Amino acid sequence: MMKIEAIIQPSRFESVKEALAEIGIEGMTVIEVRGHGRQKGHTEVYRGREYTVDLIPKVKLEMVLPDQLVNRAVEAILKSAKTGKIGDGKIFLTRVEEAIRIRNEERGEGAL
Amino acid sequence: MEDSVTPLSVLAPQCDAQRERIRKLFESGASAQETLRQLCELADEIIRRVFGELQRVREAGSQGLALLALGGYGREVLFPYSDLDLLFLFGNEKTEEESRPLIAEFSRTLWDLGFRVSSAGRTFEECRRIEQDNAEFHLAMLDRRFLDGDKSLFERLDSKVLGGPERQSRPFLMAELQRLTRDRLARYGNTIFHLEPNVKDAPGGLRDFHSTLWMRQLAGDRRDPRISPVNEDELTRSAVEFLSAIRCFLHYSNERNDNTLTYELQAEAARRSLGTDDNLRRNAAEWMRLYYRHARTLNRQLLRFMEQRPPSALSLRQRLLNATIRSKPEGGNGKPFAVRDGLLEITNEQAYADRNVTYLLLTEAARTGVCLSREAERSIAYIMAHPELPQRNSRVPWPVLSEILGADYPGVALRPMHRLGLLIEALPEFRNIDSLVVRDFYHRYTVDEHSLRTIEHLQELADSSDPRAVHFAPLWRTVDRRDLLILALLLHDIGKGMPVENHVTGSLQALETAADRLKLAPEEKTEIHFLIEHHLDMSATVQRRDIFDPATVAGFAATAGTHERLQRLSLLTYADIHAVNPEALTPWKAEMLWQLFVSTSNYFSRTLDRDRLHASDEGAMLEQVRQLAGDAPKVEVERFLEGFPRRYLAVHSAAEMAAHFEMYRKLATDPVQTEVKGKHHSFALTLLAADRPALFASIAGVLAAWGMNIVKADAFANAANVVLDTFQFVDLHRTLELNPGEIPRFQQEIADVLNGKQPLEPLLRGRLAGILARPPKVAVPTSLNFDDSSSEHCTLMEVITQDRPGLLYELGSALARLSCNIDVALIDTEGQKAIDVFYLSAQSGKLTAQKREVLREVLQATLS
Repeated sequence: MMKIEAIIQPSRFESVKEALAEIGIEGMTVIEVRGHGRQKGHTEVYRGREYTVDLIPKVKLEMVLPDQLVNRAVEAILKSAKTGKIGDGKIFLTRVEEAIRIRNEERGEGAL
Repeated sequence: MEDSVTPLSVLAPQCDAQRERIRKLFESGASAQETLRQLCELADEIIRRVFGELQRVREAGSQGLALLALGGYGREVLFPYSDLDLLFLFGNEKTEEESRPLIAEFSRTLWDLGFRVSSAGRTFEECRRIEQDNAEFHLAMLDRRFLDGDKSLFERLDSKVLGGPERQSRPFLMAELQRLTRDRLARYGNTIFHLEPNVKDAPGGLRDFHSTLWMRQLAGDRRDPRISPVNEDELTRSAVEFLSAIRCFLHYSNERNDNTLTYELQAEAARRSLGTDDNLRRNAAEWMRLYYRHARTLNRQLLRFMEQRPPSALSLRQRLLNATIRSKPEGGNGKPFAVRDGLLEITNEQAYADRNVTYLLLTEAARTGVCLSREAERSIAYIMAHPELPQRNSRVPWPVLSEILGADYPGVALRPMHRLGLLIEALPEFRNIDSLVVRDFYHRYTVDEHSLRTIEHLQELADSSDPRAVHFAPLWRTVDRRDLLILALLLHDIGKGMPVENHVTGSLQALETAADRLKLAPEEKTEIHFLIEHHLDMSATVQRRDIFDPATVAGFAATAGTHERLQRLSLLTYADIHAVNPEALTPWKAEMLWQLFVSTSNYFSRTLDRDRLHASDEGAMLEQVRQLAGDAPKVEVERFLEGFPRRYLAVHSAAEMAAHFEMYRKLATDPVQTEVKGKHHSFALTLLAADRPALFASIAGVLAAWGMNIVKADAFANAANVVLDTFQFVDLHRTLELNPGEIPRFQQEIADVLNGKQPLEPLLRGRLAGILARPPKVAVPTSLNFDDSSSEHCTLMEVITQDRPGLLYELGSALARLSCNIDVALIDTEGQKAIDVFYLSAQSGKLTAQKREVLREVLQATLS
């Protein structure tokens, strides 16, 4: 099992969700986050006040998938989140040792 | 046999059979009251049997130990899966010690029989003390009922022991009950209108009814709380029966003490016509309206009672002091209402037969934020419910409604208006969403509640410490035509209650009928239409577009059209998301909204001269203006409109453009055309003239000389250098308001100054000296920013500084002295802060770096 963490542009969220649904992935955790990588923030001036946007709004998706689905999921995210501009985001993969469904204590991939 | 207890194997099936019989009885249509009574009798019977047998077997004497029922069970109201609240009352500590094994076995047996026992033990002495940190226990004790054991012990407790302490602790219990009730109501957002309500604890639930009973009992209204509420009015009895039936149904359906009326169970309850006896088929939404009606009855009764009873004990001195205060209503201005104890009270009920008087009261509430007392609402409700009473002016005119909607606290008036049915009377379209449940994963409230909450979230912006509100508060304070924004919010979701595919279409249909009935001006209707039609656009842009992409900003700016609309749409979107549920507007979303607002606002001010009007491309608009101007020649209208910034089109209606055109035609005979329109002490001046040096400064100078404070202004020029300036100003000394005859002289003075017939300086001399002598209330530092990149021909200069009368004159004069031409100007104020954007050119081009520096120095010196 692998955990996929994808940090994407908020504007691409709907497309990514749809692309994942097409390959049968419906369950995920979605978190509203702020941050920046190479895409630095900028400064807006409104009515004499400077507003520095150094942390840019992003959406973080988290999902744990069986190994055989991981590559397809990554591909779906890449395709649907990519605009080619700086700030498109990142995908992180981590190995997951165990998953447990709280309701019935089912373990392993069956719990996903 | 007498020395043994009935085995569980015998008792449990008997108990289960009885429960099943009662369940079937309920399902076959027995009333909730009957069901609860039978459940209570079953529990009583089993408890007495088990308790009695155990006492016999254990040879425990019947002296010194009594078993009491408390809380709901004490009131003889026991729901299928509710806890049994029991109290073991001991004569002394010795009996307590000796009774422990009996109590343990008794409790175990009841658990094994399927009762959820929640028990407490107290000695006689302990009952004398009021536990300050356990008000819930003492409140449950108010409903005590003897079950078994030593009856004389109970009677002594009831008549001798508790009498004194309970009487003395009434103020404490009342205050605690009020605190607990307020906390409970707040936990549920202080509204009955939840989509999946908890029928016990949510506002309007059964707990409201019981809290009212306790309050009445503590206030001495009812001596014995165990008397069933047969004397309560019909509405209350019917509400309690309805909600009790639902709670029974929920317990049976969930097979546990779960009181949440979920969507699924709403559908099932509607299918069974639960709680109704009219045999009408209702869908879930219609059935839920019955629920809200009953919940409203119980909640209103509770709130009215909470207001009537002060939460703390008052000394005689305080009571006398209060009586003195109450006898002197605030105001004393002949109005049939007054503020008492921080609430608006009616002082002359008869006057309320005239709806105009009711609206006067509501306008006062909206203006001051002071709520109507429940008694005031009750009086109005009485008048409204009795059509035989003479009633006048039941149709609210738009100017009256507009004043309520445009005030600082519109929600404070709209809430009672909705409760009393006045909102539906004024806006019958609102009936479509009255208590309407629309199933949705995110929304927590009914559609009417959501709509009212949007308005309350906006009025909270005036004084909010919520970090999400920080950026939006200034927008609310300065928004233009707040009344239109609030009306749009009332209407924006009405389509959800109409048989249309897209609710926006329905809401726009509702606007059509409302606008006709209220006789809205076409431009007012257009603004509301825009807000309803686009009420989801900003949210969609934030969530589905890259708001840092200039193309997204440009596209959104094209939708919004003007800064004024953007401001209203931003507030509407903020409120709309906020009112979905308490967590919907995350700081992240609020920040995104704000980012889009700032980018779009800056886009407007930086691209004003980029987009100019080509009249020949605007056939339909041209024709409309031409017709409104009395079939004027097309070529002449084209010549007038050609070259104005597109903002001109966006901020003026066709009728206004036609009026401007009429003024333009008169320029040949009279080179300065002015028009002054006013409302209260706020006025608008429109001026048309051929461009000339220091034109803007001269107009601003005359306004300053007359003591007028400019709050907003636009200065545009067309391709033929005809300037159209509009100034909104506040008549600080009420000169024009109190002397309308001075308006022509004011206009003449403007014309004379512009035509060089009268010098400006002597007019200004005395006025400006007085103004400069007055220190500002809030210090605003001056900031000057130049931008050469946004316009092809001009340099943008943004000036932020302390606002004061005469400021624009000083700025304009300085610009004129340095030969800077104002191509476009946008003047705005935010409290004591002036925010002015000028598009400047010199010798038909942008300002040179050297000129900018000189200008900066001169203006810094002038403004400081």
